[in-house]
Amino acid sequence: MRKENPEAVSTFPEDLRYTKDHEWVRLDGGVYTVGITSHATEQLGDVTYVEMPEVGAEFGVGDEVGTVESVKAASDVYAPVGGQVTEVNGELEDAPERVNESPFEAGWFFKLDASALADFDALMNAGAYETFVQGLDH
Amino acid sequence: MQKTPLYKKHQSLNAKIVDFNGWALPVQFDGIVQEHLHTRTAASMFDCSHMGEYRFKGADAIERFGREVISDPSKIPVGRCRYGAVLNESGGILDDLITFRMSEDELYVVTNAGPIESVTERFCADNQGAEHVSYETAKIDIQGPSSRNHLLSAGFEAAQSLKYFNSVWTTWRGHEILLSRTGYTGELGYELFMANELAEEVWDVFHGMDGILPAGLGARDTLRTEVGYALSGQDFDETVTPLEAGMDSFVAWNTDFVGKGALEAQRDRGGFQRFVPVRTGSRRAPRHGFEIKSDGEAVGVVTSGTFGPSVGEGVGLARLDEKYASPDVVLTTGPKDIRLEVAETPIYKEGSCRVKI
Repeated sequence: MRKENPEAVSTFPEDLRYTKDHEWVRLDGGVYTVGITSHATEQLGDVTYVEMPEVGAEFGVGDEVGTVESVKAASDVYAPVGGQVTEVNGELEDAPERVNESPFEAGWFFKLDASALADFDALMNAGAYETFVQGLDH
Repeated sequence: MQKTPLYKKHQSLNAKIVDFNGWALPVQFDGIVQEHLHTRTAASMFDCSHMGEYRFKGADAIERFGREVISDPSKIPVGRCRYGAVLNESGGILDDLITFRMSEDELYVVTNAGPIESVTERFCADNQGAEHVSYETAKIDIQGPSSRNHLLSAGFEAAQSLKYFNSVWTTWRGHEILLSRTGYTGELGYELFMANELAEEVWDVFHGMDGILPAGLGARDTLRTEVGYALSGQDFDETVTPLEAGMDSFVAWNTDFVGKGALEAQRDRGGFQRFVPVRTGSRRAPRHGFEIKSDGEAVGVVTSGTFGPSVGEGVGLARLDEKYASPDVVLTTGPKDIRLEVAETPIYKEGSCRVKI
């Protein structure tokens, strides 16, 4: 039911890959950084809590790794690529609003070691994700 | 979806619109948390034109209305408001309501949008002197510690001395408006009932002031949950009785009303679930419908739940088996078994609603 606001439709960062669950992945220096997209934060509204995976835990692509809660709802977070968790964004524990303020930068969730390159290649690029979002029934 | 007289205002403000009981209403303008905190610290304006309103004129109409509700309207002093509910024959709650005693022989009653057709049937079918005015009535709530200043600036002089849970008919720019010092936020606040045609003008007067911002249903929900107010259709429905919804003290046992027999039987039998506020002690929120467990055994259900922006933790309302319904009892809830503690009411204690003037 999101109301269309043409000015709010942003082009998603070109250097990231995307999932249909509205997560993004950045590959940089042998590490995957994972977060949720601006489309996800617009849908969720104010994020109030992010449940993080344990550092060291291993996940396959599509595994449930945590939860993101907003005032209105809770959604599961999935591993967009397989790998071992190397770091989580501890700042979100006390400042989950970072996810709304900066979904693609300061609001990142966790990092995985970049071993599963085939998983990464299978993800959508920015253009494909934008087409996917536009095709959703708001 | 039905549109309130303020729908275009919400659209022009780029509000996120949702379907609430068949009404297109703003769930948020700039963000629920921001709107919530602004209401607690300054003042917000809410479009509540979807709600139900009825007028009862004459002693007979008041008496007949009294047989439909758990409270005794004839005992409400003129100028005062009282909480109540209308039940089915089994004692289940069709809707909750507030009754305003406007004069010796006039009541004004406010109900919710969801069950409006069945409530109208109950109130108006056999009651000459009862008038259903929902569809020609708009309602704007001005809520927050600075709300009185805004009312006075807008020319509502009656706000100067109006006490908590009192209401009065006022004349504003030549039009009749009902002003009540009531609300759904726990803060000092007012509800303004007016003809639909007047709604945009009143909205613009408040919206043009510094320090007041529009707020949506989302903030209204988090605000009311933090102070333990139930929401009709969510915290209770026709399968839940006033005793299970924390309304014990609003039942006029010495009067006769629909559903009283079933309610007396339940009271005498005992053993029914109790309605309590709950908190998680963490940022995790309980959610409507979460089962509540004690040592793995089901002992109740979460009826409302959210993150409470003013208390910084998950808060909610729940129905619990009697033996667990005491403050500080620790339970678990939801698919991840998060910790849930029974709280004292209200969870947020700093509200300004009862401030003396």
